[in-house]
Amino acid sequence: MRLPRDLHPVAWWCWAVGLAVGASCTTNPYLLGLLLAVATITVFACRGDQPWARSFRLYLWLGLVVLVIRVLFRVLVGGNDAGHVLLSMPEIPLPDWAAGISLLGPFSREELLAAIYEGLRLATLLIAVGAANALANPKRLMKSMPPALYEVGTAMVVAITVIPQLADSARRVRAAQQLRGGERGRGHRVRSVRRLLVPILEDAFERSLSLAAGMDARGYGRAGTATAGQRRSTGALMILGLIGICVGVYAFLDSTAPRLLAWPMLALGLVAALAGFVLAGRRVQRTRYRPERWHTTEVLVALSGVVVGAGLWLVQRGEPLVAHPGVLAVPELSLVAVVAILVGIAPVFVAPPPLTARNRAPVAPEPAEEPAKVAA
Amino acid sequence: MFELREVTFRYGDRPVLDRVDLAIDHGELVLLAGPTGVGKSTLLGVVAGLVPAFTGGTLTGDVVIDGESVLDRPARERAHVVGYVGQNPPAWFVTDTVEEELAFGMEQLGLAAPTMRRRVEETLDLLGIADLRHRDLRTLSGGQQQRVAIGSVLTTHPRLLVLDEPTSALDPTAAEEVLATLTRLVHDLGVSVLVAEHRLERVVPFADRLCLLGAGGQLRVGDPAELLVDSPIAPPLVELGRLAGWSPLPLTVRDARRRTADLRARLGPPPVVVPEVPAPESTETGPEVQVRRLLVTHGSVPALRDVDLSLTPATVTALMGRNGAGKSTLLWALQGRYSATRGTVRVAGKDPHRLKPDARRRATGLVPQSPADLLYLETVAEECAAADRTASAAPGTCAGLLERLAPGIDPAGHPRDLSEGQRLALAVAIVLTAGPPVLLLDEPTRGLDYPGKHALAEILRGLAADGRTILVATHDVEFVAQVADEVVVLAEGEVVSSGTVRDVIAESPAFAPQVTKVLGPGWLRVDEVAAALASSDPTAAEVPS
Amino acid sequence: MSAVDQRVAVPLRLRSAVVLGLASLIGLMMLGWPLLLEADPTQRVDPPFLFLGLLPVILAVVLAEISEGGMDARVLAILGVLSAVNAVLRGVSAGTAGLELVFFLLILGGRVFGPGFGFVLGCTSLFASALMTAGVGPWLPFQMLVAGWVGMFAGLLPRRVSGRWEIVMLVAYGVLAAYAYGLLMNLWGWPFILGIQVPGQDSTDLSYAPGAPLLENLHRFVVYTLLTSTGGWDTGRAITNALAIALLGPAVLTTLRRAARRARVERRGAVSSRDVAGPTLP
Repeated sequence: MRLPRDLHPVAWWCWAVGLAVGASCTTNPYLLGLLLAVATITVFACRGDQPWARSFRLYLWLGLVVLVIRVLFRVLVGGNDAGHVLLSMPEIPLPDWAAGISLLGPFSREELLAAIYEGLRLATLLIAVGAANALANPKRLMKSMPPALYEVGTAMVVAITVIPQLADSARRVRAAQQLRGGERGRGHRVRSVRRLLVPILEDAFERSLSLAAGMDARGYGRAGTATAGQRRSTGALMILGLIGICVGVYAFLDSTAPRLLAWPMLALGLVAALAGFVLAGRRVQRTRYRPERWHTTEVLVALSGVVVGAGLWLVQRGEPLVAHPGVLAVPELSLVAVVAILVGIAPVFVAPPPLTARNRAPVAPEPAEEPAKVAA
Repeated sequence: MFELREVTFRYGDRPVLDRVDLAIDHGELVLLAGPTGVGKSTLLGVVAGLVPAFTGGTLTGDVVIDGESVLDRPARERAHVVGYVGQNPPAWFVTDTVEEELAFGMEQLGLAAPTMRRRVEETLDLLGIADLRHRDLRTLSGGQQQRVAIGSVLTTHPRLLVLDEPTSALDPTAAEEVLATLTRLVHDLGVSVLVAEHRLERVVPFADRLCLLGAGGQLRVGDPAELLVDSPIAPPLVELGRLAGWSPLPLTVRDARRRTADLRARLGPPPVVVPEVPAPESTETGPEVQVRRLLVTHGSVPALRDVDLSLTPATVTALMGRNGAGKSTLLWALQGRYSATRGTVRVAGKDPHRLKPDARRRATGLVPQSPADLLYLETVAEECAAADRTASAAPGTCAGLLERLAPGIDPAGHPRDLSEGQRLALAVAIVLTAGPPVLLLDEPTRGLDYPGKHALAEILRGLAADGRTILVATHDVEFVAQVADEVVVLAEGEVVSSGTVRDVIAESPAFAPQVTKVLGPGWLRVDEVAAALASSDPTAAEVPS
Repeated sequence: MSAVDQRVAVPLRLRSAVVLGLASLIGLMMLGWPLLLEADPTQRVDPPFLFLGLLPVILAVVLAEISEGGMDARVLAILGVLSAVNAVLRGVSAGTAGLELVFFLLILGGRVFGPGFGFVLGCTSLFASALMTAGVGPWLPFQMLVAGWVGMFAGLLPRRVSGRWEIVMLVAYGVLAAYAYGLLMNLWGWPFILGIQVPGQDSTDLSYAPGAPLLENLHRFVVYTLLTSTGGWDTGRAITNALAIALLGPAVLTTLRRAARRARVERRGAVSSRDVAGPTLP
């Protein structure tokens, strides 16, 4: 039996990034549609009842908006190549500064399809990220931040905790400010914002200082064990790594640079930077209460994402016509591509049921107390 | 085990602590007392290592734990020995659920996960909060929050627990819970506790030793009963003991009650209940505030049910009850922010909820629980000028009121830098500038010491003498005994008793002030006893009250 | 508030500055790749999705470096609070056309607490608001980077300007930052939104054309950004920024400076002696 629990947030992100990589490898509308279906089914099957789980709809809308914008732009500034014209509109040439560009003009079926294919790819990418957002608990994600980002992670935890307090504070200050009346005359609106903002900020800062004192008194930021030498090597690795990435990115963009500087340099730089990053995390000794564990389920979910990504990448390499079909013919499918995408639905069968208000509640109240209450 | 040696601390050239020596042994409960603003929090901060790192200032002397100087170590490096719980625990919470909050300190110390798990369970049981483990911290009551805050430092197994005013924001029941927890820690675990508190009557019975911090920064340490003989701050019980000439002073009501036979004989019958104010009916026609069968709901949850209330001019009425009993809701309903779901609210004959904001302000003045919410300008003078403008009052009205309420506030000072009492006075002055005949105050005594409360009581009595109608929500029984004519007690949104102070207190011993608890119904305040003694025995009148 | 404090809350060490500079350079290349890429016009060019994965890593390295050696609890708490306020401001103003208040507090915060803090605040603000308002997406790391620059340059503005001139300077910077942010984010989104010209397939006249001369692409981009954003969002953002800084700036600066005074990090050397040169309370 699968007990309800939250899956490790990183596993969900691995899965989603796999889907996103897969989406970025193809413009085949059938494949993209299949990917969308996989992401959507998984979200609806595996999400909990937390507020972030509801955000998935927003991403679906966003995907649609991206698609529509893409098409509208095509209509507005589309080229005027021949094709099956769907819509003929007058062509409006722009003034000199935009020489060569004209608005509107005839709109062909080929243009529409090209816009939709490209737009669908971007929309699928967004929705894959949206799926991770809906499935992974952001607070737990913050808690599984690597040690080097502990400070920033803690600041984020503080921010997430402070937001509801700010709302309380705003409500209180608004009510209180009504007790002393508003200024009249010019600019009173601005002054009323200021009357709200200043006490809320003062309140928030006072709170933040006592929070800081509290954290300090409870041992936050105890001196680590890193020696000066270790810290120097951390810094050196980070700087060297970044230089490597810098050169790599440049060579990647400039095709005249030797190829040796592109991918190998990029990879080398990344490894050095990550090593520095890991080393930076060594400086402090902290532990996690109830650490997020990485079980078999997590491995399977993450792997399913990897399969989708890698599979479609191979399709792009091996079967370019399947990955990027032209707009003149009906796109083709291949068994490899379909199977690779279908692997992405594995979490529906593997992942534990999500925690919800019902199964999170404490086990039924002890029966002994019930009759006593009734009697009273 | 823990020592302060010749600790001197100053902000700029203002001395706060002057050659303080203090040694705390294993399993001791030491109470730190002193007037507001003398530096109790500073002393606790020095112990925890937060002063001067968080405040600035100059510290000399030495702080020693187990024979080793820790002066140079910041608070975080003392966290495994000293557990510090500051004022206002909600502002201290880093995480948002009980269990995570308990674990935060241990995570910082790098304890192993199984150890953390075990200690969290132990602490949950020790503090009796196991059923709250997954709760959101913001949904807890004040007493529960305080216990979680204590638990969050206990998990690192400190040997000294330092608490800054742990019960000042709590109602009597919640305060009892917290104090019971503290005594359990001292007795069962041998933890030493250093606690600062200005409501001495709550903690003195539990204290092994008392430290009195004077205005010059000198610290006197000793047996509570001896030190309190001439302490400038004293709970009513001690004042009574001094008046009666008892030695040693009684520290618990039970202790005092056993010695009252002689005092009762000298006192004679309790003072006759005479209306202390001229009959209000003569100056006004009928009550200023009338509430009939009021029902107020927040969403679908009723906050007030069938409340009847009438307030007459020139009286001070106290509104009492547990935290969350609906006191604030009633005040805001009288102000007009909340509408009556059913029933009627009439202030000077009108429904305040229907009034325009301006008219509301002229009808009732409300001072909210955190008076700082009202303040948004950079200097006191600007605040006063803005209050005059918005109330269309003559320039200087607010400043004049402020000078009457709290003389000597620097008009160029930043409102946020004022002391608790001064800030309250400023808020009251701003609210009164519009000239409302009804004044409502929500928990005004928070953070005030005995002299501060005396001063506030005088101010309120003075305002009532001007003919204002005053309603004070508070759970400070002693303050009620000083200031109020009438009491209304709310529970779960319903009025459970109301009437004159004497009547209500005679009916419910839980709300009785210490003097009543000792001498029985009829006696409320120490000054009544003093007056009675003076009339029956002239020599006793020399004892200052 | 006339006396502007010279010290800042998160001092930027030379090493951190180098890391930040390198990362900024990489970020700039990743944003402006369509203008830099030298491609064969006959080949299909896909948007470099690689960059979407690479930038988060670079940001993580920069943030780790800036907070390396520990971030003071007070600075951290203020960082958390300001990020939360910023996230709320963004959430509140997101729905109202063009009225984005994102930068207002970021600029003031960077000004008071310094470039290092400004950079981190820009990153954390955008991240927190993204978590709150479903804004996590491939654009997020780039938004974080650019917002970080906005905060960082606010911290690098001349410190000696004070009083009314300080507000004038910040307003001008706010307008500039609003347009620069819009421009850079447009540069990022351009190839994704309009697509890339693919040989054999047609595309819009404004799409990025790989292999075309730099000026040609720049031209297309400028027209694209003028058409889409400059008239609307960017100008709205600039006006909102300017108004917010001009009208609320003085009061908020006072508040921030009060907080900064209390959050000042004492250097280790000063703490170890028994005499801390801290702020004197009144």
